[in-house]
Amino acid sequence: MNVTEFRTDLRRWLDANDLSPGPDDSLDAQVTQLARVRRALYEAGWMRYGWPAEVRGLGGPPVLRAVLGEEVATRGLAEPGIYSMVEVLAPTVISYAPAELAAEMVPLLLGGREQWCQGFSEPGSGSDLASLGTRAVPRRGDWVVTGQKVWTSLAQYSARCVLLTRTAPGHAGITAFFVDMDTPGITVRPLRTMHGVDEFAEVFFDDVVVPGERMLGRPGDGWQLAMDLLPHERSTCFWHRIAHLYTRLDHLLHQMPASDSGRDDDALGAAYLALHTVRCRSHTTQRRLAEGEHLGPETSVDKVLLATAEQELFDTVRDLLPGTLELTETPWRSEYLYSRAATIYGGTAEIQRNIIARRLLNLGKE
Amino acid sequence: MDAAERDLLSSTLHKAMTTATGPALDASLAGLGWADLLTEVPEAAVPLVFRLLGETGAHAPLLNDVILHAAGRPLGGTPPLPYAGGSWVVWERGGRGAPGVCLDGELPLRVGPAGEPIPLGAGRRALGWWLVGTGRAMLALARSHVLDRTQFGRPLASFQAVRHRLAETLVALDGAEATLVAADDDLGALLAKAAAGRSALTAARHCQQVLGGIGFTAEHDLHRHVRRALVLDGLLGSARELTREAGTLVREGRSAPRLVQL
Repeated sequence: MNVTEFRTDLRRWLDANDLSPGPDDSLDAQVTQLARVRRALYEAGWMRYGWPAEVRGLGGPPVLRAVLGEEVATRGLAEPGIYSMVEVLAPTVISYAPAELAAEMVPLLLGGREQWCQGFSEPGSGSDLASLGTRAVPRRGDWVVTGQKVWTSLAQYSARCVLLTRTAPGHAGITAFFVDMDTPGITVRPLRTMHGVDEFAEVFFDDVVVPGERMLGRPGDGWQLAMDLLPHERSTCFWHRIAHLYTRLDHLLHQMPASDSGRDDDALGAAYLALHTVRCRSHTTQRRLAEGEHLGPETSVDKVLLATAEQELFDTVRDLLPGTLELTETPWRSEYLYSRAATIYGGTAEIQRNIIARRLLNLGKE
Repeated sequence: MDAAERDLLSSTLHKAMTTATGPALDASLAGLGWADLLTEVPEAAVPLVFRLLGETGAHAPLLNDVILHAAGRPLGGTPPLPYAGGSWVVWERGGRGAPGVCLDGELPLRVGPAGEPIPLGAGRRALGWWLVGTGRAMLALARSHVLDRTQFGRPLASFQAVRHRLAETLVALDGAEATLVAADDDLGALLAKAAAGRSALTAARHCQQVLGGIGFTAEHDLHRHVRRALVLDGLLGSARELTREAGTLVREGRSAPRLVQL
């Protein structure tokens, strides 16, 4: 199915099948809504396009997933951050899990029957992922995992975790597992964030036994697995997020008093230009991915553009709706506060600039 | 035009622009078939030619032709061009810069009376590529300086504060280039010109800073690109003016057009 046909048919279907969320915007409600949206889209087939037949997908180019995510974000059907998690989790399991395991598990995620989480960051290794310390030790064909993860989105709702552990020193000593979250020894403690949502959690692993066949790839493949995530995170997920930010800008334009003529056009124009710029850049990245190109450090440019655009947009919202997010109960408040994290998660803005300096500008070592 | 033809053309143009500038370059490009390139393959020729003008620091009055071609008029003239702040300029052909008038003394721009409305999209795209090329020339100068120059016993390039300025410059230029690639209507061209102008000004600021004192002297090449960027930014609307215009458009339309689609 080609993109235009897919988009037209999808829009027609979404017009006829209202999946809009209810008024409750608590995290519990958002996660329930996400499952409902995924399930409906999966059963109608939309959520299966762009995924391979081996995991019960309907095939077609992966860009169809970006089109679907854009429609979901534009219509506000699901919170785009948690919606986009399929884009990194499913491809990782498809690439690294044994084929039967992927065939069994991926449809559960795509079909909204399960949430999964991604256990990467640790208290001692955020941006410095290579320094992670959660240990996995072999024991009679199983592995025993001990350690702590943090910033694990949706851990408290998750049935499975794609987990990075240390099995030997250095980059080559990182090993990934696909862990059932109900295994004894796992404790999840949700973390309250400044925007009032327990989206993240700390996850503690206390002698957790993981069967050997749940290893993703081979011992030492974990670093490569983490790097292989980037094309998905920096292309399809970004496209979804950019679509979401456009809808927020539209929302601001509707909410601004109509009499506000001209005075704020500099700020509005700058926010729009920043969004347009990252959309154009992301479009180029999507096309390169579709042509089978390998995505590498140049996606750090996309990341910096997106984080900058996101914060510029919400700064503009605060400036142009004076007092609103401070003095009224409004979704803008939590969105503004969450936008402060855009230069932190997924590799800080400083780390991105270091990558650009070393690998794109060849400035040598610091 | 396939990749091999484009590479060949690119190296031919590069050679022309590093051996001549101004009226001489205009003549040399005419000999290389500029008019045919512009009329037959503008989508390939304009980005190539204007970006190379920026990268080499050469100049030629080709913007006139781009505007005339878009207006369906014969090439070779000098239509009055709107400038920032409501001014109008004429880009002389064969003329020479008048010292003390234009900030970039090499460009033969003359302030004149208001002219007829002209089609702006194609001209803004061309200027956008020129500005990005100029920005890349500044980045290249700054990059080689910070790798060569040692302070406190190590290269400037090893200091994170310096590296981050140059990284920000590349982000701005690459972002602007993406908007130029996608600029296939008037709003796209307006936004691309704004992004390109802003990226060149960002390059000027960061590159001049990391070049230190030498980048402030007329003995180093940087100042030529800084002046060029400032002058080109104002042509057919400055980054500031165009950004405001885009803001007015989305405010009045109550919607932010999504110009590129998958």
